[in-house]
Amino acid sequence: MQDKNKPVGLAGAPQSAPARRRFVRHVGGLALAASPLGALAAKATDGVTLADGPRPLVRYPGKRPLVRVSTRPPHLETPFSTFNEGPITANDAFFVRYHLANIPLSVDLNTYRLSVGGHVGKPLRLSLDELKKLADPVEVVAVNQCSGNSRGFSEPRVFGAQLANGAMGNARWTGVPLRKVLEHADIKAGAKVVTFNGMDTPVLPSTPDFRKSLDIAHAMNGEPLLAWGMNGEDLPLLNGYPLKLVVPGYFGTYWIKHLSEIEVLDHPFEGHDAFFMTKGYRVPDNDCQCVAPGTPAARTRPISTLAVRSFITSVESGGRLPAGHTVALKGIAFDGGSGIRTVEVSVDDGQNWQAATLGEDLGRFSFRAWHLPVKFDRKGPAVLMVRATSNKGETQPAKASWNPAGYRRNVIEATPVTIA
Amino acid sequence: MKATIAPALLALALLGAGNASAAPQDIKLPAENVKLKPARLPGYGIAMQKCAICHSADYVSYQPPGLSLAQWTAEMKKMQQAYGAPIDDAEVGQLGAYLAVAYGSAKAKDPEIVAIAQKAGKPAVPASAAPGVDVQGLLAKNACLSCHGVTQKVVGPAYHEVAVRYKNDAQAQAKLEASIRGGSSGKWGAAPMPPFASLKPEEVRALATYVRQQ
Repeated sequence: MQDKNKPVGLAGAPQSAPARRRFVRHVGGLALAASPLGALAAKATDGVTLADGPRPLVRYPGKRPLVRVSTRPPHLETPFSTFNEGPITANDAFFVRYHLANIPLSVDLNTYRLSVGGHVGKPLRLSLDELKKLADPVEVVAVNQCSGNSRGFSEPRVFGAQLANGAMGNARWTGVPLRKVLEHADIKAGAKVVTFNGMDTPVLPSTPDFRKSLDIAHAMNGEPLLAWGMNGEDLPLLNGYPLKLVVPGYFGTYWIKHLSEIEVLDHPFEGHDAFFMTKGYRVPDNDCQCVAPGTPAARTRPISTLAVRSFITSVESGGRLPAGHTVALKGIAFDGGSGIRTVEVSVDDGQNWQAATLGEDLGRFSFRAWHLPVKFDRKGPAVLMVRATSNKGETQPAKASWNPAGYRRNVIEATPVTIA
Repeated sequence: MKATIAPALLALALLGAGNASAAPQDIKLPAENVKLKPARLPGYGIAMQKCAICHSADYVSYQPPGLSLAQWTAEMKKMQQAYGAPIDDAEVGQLGAYLAVAYGSAKAKDPEIVAIAQKAGKPAVPASAAPGVDVQGLLAKNACLSCHGVTQKVVGPAYHEVAVRYKNDAQAQAKLEASIRGGSSGKWGAAPMPPFASLKPEEVRALATYVRQQ
């Protein structure tokens, strides 16, 4: 009997590609809306197999039912069907990811302060109001994607959160440029690195705090934002209220939630609490950021920018499409900040490709919607594929690369369907 | 290239310039309801007590299927060394064996699993030898203080909070002993307390008495 939860095409052929996105089943949001906190009856059958799965949908404060990755610390994935709602991900659907269990469950703006210190002439201690008045606010539409998004499809499998493709989202962020805040603090000559810390803390002092750093040139290039607004509203608490570091084009690991501490260093960031830069969230230090499957990396570097990716959102794996009628395929594409040049679709398992029409350009860091009318003459099984090419010429590989932590997956997605 | 970062005066107007007087934003998390798979291996008890300090059981159960004893043991070594889990080398071995059997490719009858399990269960101090129970030693050995401070709430309540709640309860001693021996949930927050079933009756009694005195 076929295991519906098992990825098609992986058994016995670990390098077979492109990856099949499998049997994503919708779960009706309306029926669940009245459910109490905690586990809901529905399960996410998104193709990720687990030692003791599948994962349930759960309802958290301020969120619609999301896929539970872990309860404590909270880690919730966006059901993939959400991405068909448009290129902006709703705040109540946006994924949630914490590393440390002591998370702030209450934030009071009367006592909240952001400190800016270290190698600066004028250390700051700002309320949110003071920060908002420090410079003209700016907006950017940008994708926040987990480094380990899609890790559950890594083959051979690796430890870590077994994510399907929903640990990503695209929002309109409002804040002030990090650069303006650092200038206001009178950053000194010789500054090398800027470190960031949020209000979440480890349970044990022996566990490293979750701190991230950016090189001074990146911190000062005008792109990173200290954001309080998400799609025109305050940040949801579980997404970092009241302030989040937004690093357009970079993986979500840098997007520190509940940002409370910025420190400028005139030396490299090292030590116990530099763990998530110096030991965690690192990729093989080579062009493909990959190694032979199942082998360790000799040298690593911190993960950085998003790889180009694209998805079909209007059809689920295992879905049915009508023969003899025109069907509008639609989806999304994004990269690490050059913008999307082309999206191509294949309806014959990658043999022929046709260009899709791109939707509105919301900025080079955003999801780019695409659509393409297609017509199937013959009934039977078909495999749909989509591949994007960025403005800087980066495209998606036909074969999935591999790294020990299961980061940065961007293989061409394949969606098996039945034409009936 | 189209400019992607632009002044957002509209958004400023929408969001409002000042809201410091707003009520604090706060949320309540759902309770944990995933439990580790029971097994007749020494690592099962260690996993319930030590893993639960920093994360819920679904961190374990939602790993990939079929991982080996070597892989699970290496992961426990990472928990010990990278994340500072309060587990010694012997516990790394026991945890690796339990997890590989419960969630991975190993079987309880595998010779290497049997060999690891046989190494466990040698108490450092014979039960009847001690005239008094070393409460501080028990707190340290069982990592009680990872979840409970004497006066500070950590994962679970402070011992002082517990003492205050049960101050006028005639059943206090029995209730606390039951919670220590069998575990407890729903009384103090979302995170459950694991059972410490391997403690001896006099040790449970001494710990409950100690908590009531804080």
